[in-house]
Amino acid sequence: MQPQKPATRANLYLALGSIALALVVALVWARYDSGSGLILKVRRQVSIGDALAPTIAAAMIGLGGVMVLLQRHAAEQPGLSLANLRFLTRFLVLCAVSFALMRWTGPAVVAAINLFGEGDLSYRLLRDTAPWKYIGFAAGGTLLITVLIADIEGRLTARSVIIAVLAIAALIALYDLPFDDLQLPPNGDV
Amino acid sequence: MGVSDYIWMGIQAVFQGPEAFSILGLSISITIVMVLAGFMLGIVVGATPGLAGPMAMAISLPILISAFGFSPDALLPVMGFLIGVMKGATVGGAVPAILFNTPGTPDAYMTTLDGYPMTQAGQARKALKIAHFSSASGDTFSDVVLILCAPFLAVLVERYLDLPEKTALLILSMAFIASVIGGSVGKGIISMGLGLLAAYIGTGEDFYPRLSMGTQSLAQGFPVATAVLGVLVLGEVFKSLEDLWHHVRADDRPTEPRQSGDQRLHWADIRRISPYIARSAVIGTVIGALPGIGSTLAATLGYSAGARRHARKYPDRVKFGHGAPEGIAATEAANSSVSGANLIPVLSLGIPGNAAAVFLILATESIGGFNPGPSVFKFTREAINPELVAAFGLFTTMMVANAFNWTIGGAIMRAAGVMVRVPKHILLPIVLMLTLTAIYVQETRMQGIWFAIGFGVLGYLMRRVGMSPLPFVIAFILGGKLEETARQAFAATGGDAWFLFTSPMAALFMGLAVLFVAFSLRRPTEAEK
Amino acid sequence: MKQILKAAIAAVGLAALATGASAADWTPPGPIKLMIGFAAGGGADTQARLIAEELEAKLGWQFIPEQVTGKGGLNLAAAIKDQPNDGSAIGMVVTETLGYNMRAADAGMTPADFTAIITTAGFQMGIVSQSSKGWTSFADVVAAAKGGQDIRFGAMSPKLADLAYLLGKAQGVDFNIVTVKGGKDVMNGVVAGDMDLGFMAGIQAKGVASGDLVNLASALSAPLVQTPDAPKLSDLGVEFNADGYFAFIGPAGMPTEARDAIAAAIADTITTEGSKSNSLLTKAFGGPTIIAGDELQAMAEADYDAAGKLLAAASE
Repeated sequence: MQPQKPATRANLYLALGSIALALVVALVWARYDSGSGLILKVRRQVSIGDALAPTIAAAMIGLGGVMVLLQRHAAEQPGLSLANLRFLTRFLVLCAVSFALMRWTGPAVVAAINLFGEGDLSYRLLRDTAPWKYIGFAAGGTLLITVLIADIEGRLTARSVIIAVLAIAALIALYDLPFDDLQLPPNGDV
Repeated sequence: MGVSDYIWMGIQAVFQGPEAFSILGLSISITIVMVLAGFMLGIVVGATPGLAGPMAMAISLPILISAFGFSPDALLPVMGFLIGVMKGATVGGAVPAILFNTPGTPDAYMTTLDGYPMTQAGQARKALKIAHFSSASGDTFSDVVLILCAPFLAVLVERYLDLPEKTALLILSMAFIASVIGGSVGKGIISMGLGLLAAYIGTGEDFYPRLSMGTQSLAQGFPVATAVLGVLVLGEVFKSLEDLWHHVRADDRPTEPRQSGDQRLHWADIRRISPYIARSAVIGTVIGALPGIGSTLAATLGYSAGARRHARKYPDRVKFGHGAPEGIAATEAANSSVSGANLIPVLSLGIPGNAAAVFLILATESIGGFNPGPSVFKFTREAINPELVAAFGLFTTMMVANAFNWTIGGAIMRAAGVMVRVPKHILLPIVLMLTLTAIYVQETRMQGIWFAIGFGVLGYLMRRVGMSPLPFVIAFILGGKLEETARQAFAATGGDAWFLFTSPMAALFMGLAVLFVAFSLRRPTEAEK
Repeated sequence: MKQILKAAIAAVGLAALATGASAADWTPPGPIKLMIGFAAGGGADTQARLIAEELEAKLGWQFIPEQVTGKGGLNLAAAIKDQPNDGSAIGMVVTETLGYNMRAADAGMTPADFTAIITTAGFQMGIVSQSSKGWTSFADVVAAAKGGQDIRFGAMSPKLADLAYLLGKAQGVDFNIVTVKGGKDVMNGVVAGDMDLGFMAGIQAKGVASGDLVNLASALSAPLVQTPDAPKLSDLGVEFNADGYFAFIGPAGMPTEARDAIAAAIADTITTEGSKSNSLLTKAFGGPTIIAGDELQAMAEADYDAAGKLLAAASE
C-alpha cells in the first residue's frame, strides 16, 4: 500500500475521460476505420456491419462514464498520483531498454563477428542454434530482472545479478531445451 | 450410447490414457500424473504470497501445449494439470494466512482472523488440518453439484434457446458481471466496454481489419493470451512492484510462535466444524455458479453466516476472530466450494466467471477439439460425441484431484509453509520475465510483448483507480462470441431489428440485464477494494 | 475407380516434380518458418503440423510452425509477402485466399505477390442438413421455402454466402444466410437447430455415414465422393462453384528449385501410404489432391480473375 492521497476528483476525471474516449471511438474511430457501417445491405439482406460492435462498446464506455459522473462525490475514491506516473515512466523506460537489448544484441554480435572475423554469418539462419539464440534473451532478461531488484533494494548487489542470471538460465531450461518448436525472444521476429 | 456409457468412457479416458509409467504392472496414465503435478504446484503457488493460481495456470499453458501438442489427446493431461493447479491454489492460500497472518490469495483473508490466533496459541498444525479438511470438503461438494447440474443446464439451453435468446443470455451475463464485480457499477461497465473495444480491434466480418488504422500490427487483433495475461498478471505485478518500491522492504521476517499441545484433528473436532462447513459449502457453491462474483465474497459471506450462528448457539466457545476453528472452517469451505461451481457456466454456456475459469477456456481454445458450451452435452445415440467423453473425463480429473487433496493434500500443505519466506521483491521480477517469455513463445513477435506490457499498464491503471480488471477480461473473451451470435441472430430472423425483444425469453433476459445494472446503481459505492 | 484416378493424378504430379533435377539437390538455408492460417488444433492445422513433422524426420529439414490466422488467410498472406523468398518461409492457406478473398478485399495484393507451391487436398464441400428435418433432396428445401418457411442457410466464408445467395436466386427463393467463422460452427449450428442447412467442407462425412446428416447437394464442379447422386451447383442453375484446396504458398520470386523441392517433399509424404498425413487427408478430405508449381499458380490467377464475376453476380 502506498500513502493514499485524498483524490476526491479522481472519479470526475475518470468519468470525463471515459466519455471523451467513447465519443472519439463512436464518432471517429469506429466510423471511419471499419470496412462497413452500422448496418449494410448485402445480397438483398440487411446485415449488421463491422462498425456496430465497436460503437456499442463505445456506448458502454460512455454509459459507465456517465454513471461514474453521477457518483463523483463518492467517499474514498482511489486515484492516480504523480508518484504512480513517475514509477510507470521509469518502468516503461526500463522495459524499452531491455527489449531493445533483447532484440538487437544477437544480430549485433553476429555483425561484429562478420566485421572483424572471417564473417559471412547471418543471425536469421542461426536463430535456432545455441548459443546464438540465447544471446539477446539473456542480455535483455538479465538487465530487466537485475535492475528491478536493485531498484527496490536501493543498491546494486552481486546477488541480484546472480539471481537474474540463474532465473534466465531456468527460463531457458523451461521453455527452450525441452521443446523444438518454441522460440525465445527475439527469434520469431528475425 | 447411454449416459452411463459416456460416464464410463470419460473415466476410462483418464485412467487408461497414454501411460506415463507403471508400478508393479499397474499402469499409471499421464493424465493422473499431470493432475498430481498440477495439484502440488498449485499448493506451492497458493502458499506463496504474491503468486496466485491463475498466474501459474497462465504461465504453464504454453509449456503444456508444447509438451502435449494440439491433438485431442492433449486435452485431458493439460486440463487435468490446470484443474490441479486451481484446486491446489485454493488449499494453499490458507497456509501463509494461518502461519504468518498474510493471506496467500485474497480469498484467504478471512482465514487469518482465526488461523493466526490459533498459531499464536501454539495450534498451527491443527489450524492447517482444519483448513485442509474444510477446504477439501467444500471443494468436493461443489464438484458434485457441478457434475449434476452442468449437463442439465446445457441441455436446457440447447433445447429451448434459439440464436436471439442466446444473444440475450450473453448480454444478461455480462450485465450481471459488470454490476457485481468491484465497488462501482459504472467502473465495471467502463471496464467491460474497454474489453469489448479491445476484442473488436482487427476482427470483424469484412476483409478490412477494422480499427487497425491501416497497420499490419493491429490487423491480426490482440491475441487472447496477451490481453488476459497483460491485464490480469502483469497489471498485478506492476502494482505490487510499485508498492514494494515505495516501501523499501523492511526486514519483517515473521517470528514463529512455539507450537505445543495436541495437534491432531479428532472426530469431535470434525463433528464440531461440520455444520459450518456444510453451510459455507452451500453458500460458496451458489455464489460460484453465478459468473463473476468470486471466492472472496463467498468467503466473507460464509464467515459472517458462520459467525452469526456461532454467537447465537455457542456463546461459551472461543469467539470468531479469536482463534475459533469454526471460523477457519466457515471461510475455507466457502472459498473452496466456489471453484467447482464456477465451471457450471463455463461448461454449459461457455461463460467464464473468474480468472481461473478464464484460463481453462483459454486452454481449450488453444488445444481445440473441445469448445465449452451447450454443444458439449449432446448425448448422441449412434456416433460417439468426443466432446462429451472429454467433459466426463474432466469431471473425472476433478475427482482425482479431490482424491489427492484428501490423501496427501494436508501433508503437502504443511510442507509448503517454507514458501512464505521467499522475498517478494525477488520473486516479482522473475514472474514478470516468466510471463513475458510465456507470451513470446505463443506469439513469436516482440510486438506481442509490447502489447502485453500495454495491457499490463492498463491493468495497473485500472487497479489504481479502483476498477476491477475482471469485467475487461471476460468481455474480451466473450466479445467475439457476442458479436457473432448477434449477427447470426439478426441474419437468421431475416433482419429483424427487434430480435432481442420479440421472443418472451429473450425479452426477459434483456429486462433482467437492465434491472441488474439499475439496481446496483443504487448500491453504496467504493465499498470494496 | 475414384481412388485409382486420384493415385494416377498424384503419380503424374510427382513425375512432373521429379524432373526438376536441381530440385533434388536443394536444401533449405536454415530453419523454415511455417505459417499456418488456421486455428490451432483443427484438421487443417493438424495436417500442416504432421507434414512438417514427417519432413523433419525424413529429410532433416527443420520447421518452426506458427499460427497466423484471420481474415480468410489474408493476414497470413500479408505477413508472408515480405518474408525472405529463399524457401525459408512458407505458409498454408486455402486457394480461396488467393482467389475470391484477395479480390474481394482489394487490399493491394494479387496472386502474383506469392509463389504457389502445392496443394494437399480438396474440399468435399456439400450442402448439408440434419436428416431429422426430413429433407432428402434439395428440391425438398426449395419446396419448404416456397411453402413460406424461413430457411436459415449457414455459410463460413463470404464466397460461400454469395453462392448461397445465387442458389436461392436461381431457385426463386430467399434464404436467410447466416455467416459464421468456420466449418465447425456451421456443423454445430445445423446440429443444434440454429440453422436449417449449411455448407460443410468434409466434416460432415461421419454424420452422413451414420445417417444423422444428409448431403443435399454438391457445391463442387464434381459430384461428392460420399453422395455421388446429389446434384451439383451447376445442376441447380448456379454457374459458380466452391472448388477449393489447401495450398502451401511462399513469397513471390521463390527460386524454382526451392519451390519444386518443397513441393516434391510434401507430395511425397502425403502420398506415402501409412504416413500420418496421408491417413488424415484420406479420412477427412477424400485423399490427397496434388496440383503444384506453375499449374497451381495459373489456377490461382484464374480464380482471382473469375472472382470478379462472382462478386458482380452476387451484388446484383
